[in-house]
Formats: sequence, C-alpha cells, structure tokens
Amino acid sequence: MRKYLEVAKTHMKAQLAWRCDVIFNMIFTVAKILFAYLLWGIIFKDKSDVSGFTFHGMLSYYIVSSFLSQLEMSDGISAEISARIRNGTFSNYMVLPVNIERYFMAMEAGVAAFYFAFDLAAALAWIFIFRIQFVFVQSAFVFFCALLMILLGMLFMVQLNYFLGILTLKYQEIGTFLMIKNNLIALVTGTIIPLALFPEAFVKGMRLLPFYYVTYLPSMLLTGRCGQEALPGLIVLLLWCLALQTVVANTWKKYRIKYDGVGI
Amino acid sequence: MMTGFQKNCRVVRELIRLRFQNLMMFRLGFFGPFFVDGSMFAIQLLVFRAVYSNIDRIGSWGEGEVILYIGTFSLLNAVSMVICFFGVIDIAPKIQSGEMDLYLTKPVSPLLRLTFEKVNPGSVPLVAMSVLIIIYGAWKARIELTAGKIAAYLFWFAVMELLYYFMEVLMRCIAFFTVSTAKMERLEEAGLDLCMKLPGIALYGVWKLIFYCFLPYGIMATLPVQSMVGEMSWKLGLFGIAVVGFFGGLTCFTWKKGVRRYNSASS
Repeated sequence: MRKYLEVAKTHMKAQLAWRCDVIFNMIFTVAKILFAYLLWGIIFKDKSDVSGFTFHGMLSYYIVSSFLSQLEMSDGISAEISARIRNGTFSNYMVLPVNIERYFMAMEAGVAAFYFAFDLAAALAWIFIFRIQFVFVQSAFVFFCALLMILLGMLFMVQLNYFLGILTLKYQEIGTFLMIKNNLIALVTGTIIPLALFPEAFVKGMRLLPFYYVTYLPSMLLTGRCGQEALPGLIVLLLWCLALQTVVANTWKKYRIKYDGVGI
Repeated sequence: MMTGFQKNCRVVRELIRLRFQNLMMFRLGFFGPFFVDGSMFAIQLLVFRAVYSNIDRIGSWGEGEVILYIGTFSLLNAVSMVICFFGVIDIAPKIQSGEMDLYLTKPVSPLLRLTFEKVNPGSVPLVAMSVLIIIYGAWKARIELTAGKIAAYLFWFAVMELLYYFMEVLMRCIAFFTVSTAKMERLEEAGLDLCMKLPGIALYGVWKLIFYCFLPYGIMATLPVQSMVGEMSWKLGLFGIAVVGFFGGLTCFTWKKGVRRYNSASS
C-alpha cells in the first residue's frame, strides 16, 4: 500500500512541472458551463421548467458534472498503455515490482487529488461569474452516497481504461476505437446534457449500465435530485466494478504472454 | 509554357497520387476519421433530439434548422478532413522539428504542399453522411428548396470552408513565433467544440462578439443555414465576407512573416 501512496505522491508532485497546463485546465472548464449558459439561457427565456429543471438547477447540474468530468482524467491511461505496447516500452511497467493496474489507480488518484482544489476553485469562480444560484443537496446521507459514488465511478473508469489499454496486446491498433469511446462516454455519462432529457425507456436502460453512475447520478444527487437512487446506484456501480475487475484479471492473464517487448 | 496555376494543379495531382499510394500501404486506419467524427455528429443529433423532445424552439430555430446546422458543421469538417486537415495539423510539429526545411527548399509553395499532401479519402463517407443530414434537416424544417436557396447555401458554404481553412492554418502559424502551440490548438478545439453544439443564433452580447469576430467559429455553419432559411440580410452577408477577408489577410500575413522568421531546427 505504501508504494502506491508514493506513486500517487510522485504523480501529484509531477503536475507542478506543468503549471501553465493547470491554469489552462481551469480556464477551459468554462467551455461546458458557457455552452450550458448560452443554450439553456435562450431556452429558458420562454420556459421556466424543462424536464423538472429550472434555469439555475440546470446550470448547477452543469457546474457539478463539468467539475467531475474534469477531475476524471483516466482516458489517458488507455492511450498510454496502447502507445507503450505498440512501441515496446510497456516493459518499463512490467519490470516494476508493482501491480500495474494498481499503479495506474494510484497515478490517477495522485493526479485527481492535485487537480481537485483547482477544479473546485474554477467551479466556484464560474458560479460567481455567471451569477448562478447554486442548488446543492441538503441531506448528509445523500451527500455521503454521492461522494462514495464519485470515488467508485473514478475507480470504474480507471478499470475500464486499463482494460481497453491492455486489449492492444490482442488487437494492436485501438486508437480509433478509443476516440469513438470518448465521444460515447461524453453522451452516456450525461456531460453533454442531463440524461433526464432523454426518453424514459432510454434512462431506464442506462440505469443498468455503470456510466449512469459515473458523472450523471452524482451530479443529480449533489444538486438535490434523484435521492432515492443513491443507495441502489452505489450497489449497481460496486457490482460493475467487481465484474470488470474479474474481466481485467482474466484478460491480463490471457494476453500478457503475447507481449514481446519489441513493439508492433 | 506552363502557367503558375497549371503547375500548381500538377503538383496537387501528384501529391494526391502519392497520398493514395501511402494509404494503400497503411489500410488499417483508412475509415478511422469517418467513424470518429461520424459518431461525434451522430451524438450531436441525438442530443438535440432529446432537447427538442422537451422544447419547441431554440430562439427562432426549430429542430429542422438545428439539424441543418449540425449537418453543415459536419460537412465543413468533412470537406476539410478530405482535403487539407491532416496536412495542416502537421504545420506546427514540422516547424518545431525543423522539418519545414524540406518544404521551403522545394520549388513549390510550401503551404500548397502542406495543404494537399495528406488528402484523406477515408473521410468521403462523412461528406455523404453530412449531405444526408442536411437533406433531412431541410425536409424537417419544411424548407422549399429552390435553385436560388441552394446556390446561396453553396456560396456561403464555400466561403465558410475557406474561413475554416484560414483558421486552421492561422492557429498553427503561431508555431513560427512560439515554442509550443498546444494552448492555441486547445483554444481552437474548445471554440470548435462549443460552436459545433451551439448555433450562432443562440449567442449574444460579448459571446457573440467573441465567436463572430475574434474566433469566428460561430458564423461558420450559421451563415449558410441562415441563407437557406431566409434569415440572411445584406448586412450579415457583408459582415460574413468582411470576416473571411480579414482572416484570409491575417493568415497570409502571419504565414509570410512566420516563414521569414523561421530559422530551421532552432525554431
């Protein structure tokens, strides 16, 4: 456990090397808020309620979901693993006396911990600049469930991206698939628009999938909606994490012997 | 004797031929850009379908006009990908690595070569998909397609495609003057991403000023659609031409200044 803590700390410190990137990351969180502010601003001119959202409720949702999606940076893991397998430098990880998946989990935790304060500061700044009457959850239990769900969601995304990355051992070129995956993830995690705007049947189907619980449900919970889904959501997401862990372990066991360390 | 235009045409033809030979060697990712961008625009359509199932209009535009907008943006992007995108995105790395030397020392315009050396036929299906989206949008918006409207649309589309190209080159010419263009490219990405989802008619105040005048991604698909739905005024038309003229001039100026400033691998 201690060595993973060191990995997390090292990656946390490494972020300081790119201070300008940190500032730009903060600034660019505005893109999603601006999109929401302009689009929903013009829509709410004629209406006071859209699918149960008020204008400020909607913007509060975007503030939280933008903050969470900004914090979740695990998509780089699949790209990193894929590139390293293809050029033969994945050996750098294989020779380390660590579990590679846990190494990436610790890395993600370190990076997310570093960006947490900055992204939070950016979110608060946008609330102030766009004069949003921020809607926040009142129940401590729901708040606690939302926090747990965020952590589990991040864990799931690391597992997923690690799984996709190691698929390079078998399929060699997965770059195109990863880009399509990123487009789809943006839709199904509700970072483009809240999933509540989609037809009920679609939302019901999404509740069976883990992506519903990664950004969308925590954002809804933190803005005081869908409280009754908090506990079932945690259980569903936990089951998905366990299932995916089994798949990851089997895939790694099956395909790691295909790696020859000379690149593709 | 061959004129400059004829010579350039021959160069472009040869570049396309070489590119096809190269693509046949690496067939794996041939349709990759189509699937990536196709999925992106399909998601945009889904998003606006969901939005319009809860509301009737966004400003003066109904669902048909927005579909037309998404189709137009998709077409702008697709045409750019087919012709020049993959060549132009290499400008900054080539400047930084000093590889630009190989372009400047050839007896052909370096920008012409960079523009046409990586044509991407794999994106042609994206053009077809975009045209289908546009036709569906026009049908949904119940636009009576006359020859005049189609001609106006095509004119504005061609003008905006030029603007799209100017912006792509301009953002990468910055590499002549700076160590890294990563932030400019991120700014471009953020501007494009925002305006791809948000029609220009939804912009107002300072945001309209920014996305119509300084980062003119807001007018790129809006003006062709407005010309088709009959919302184009002569003032707006003149403004559109002026913006394209200004950014065309700025790109030309920046490129020329940049090439003069370029000092090979140490750039």
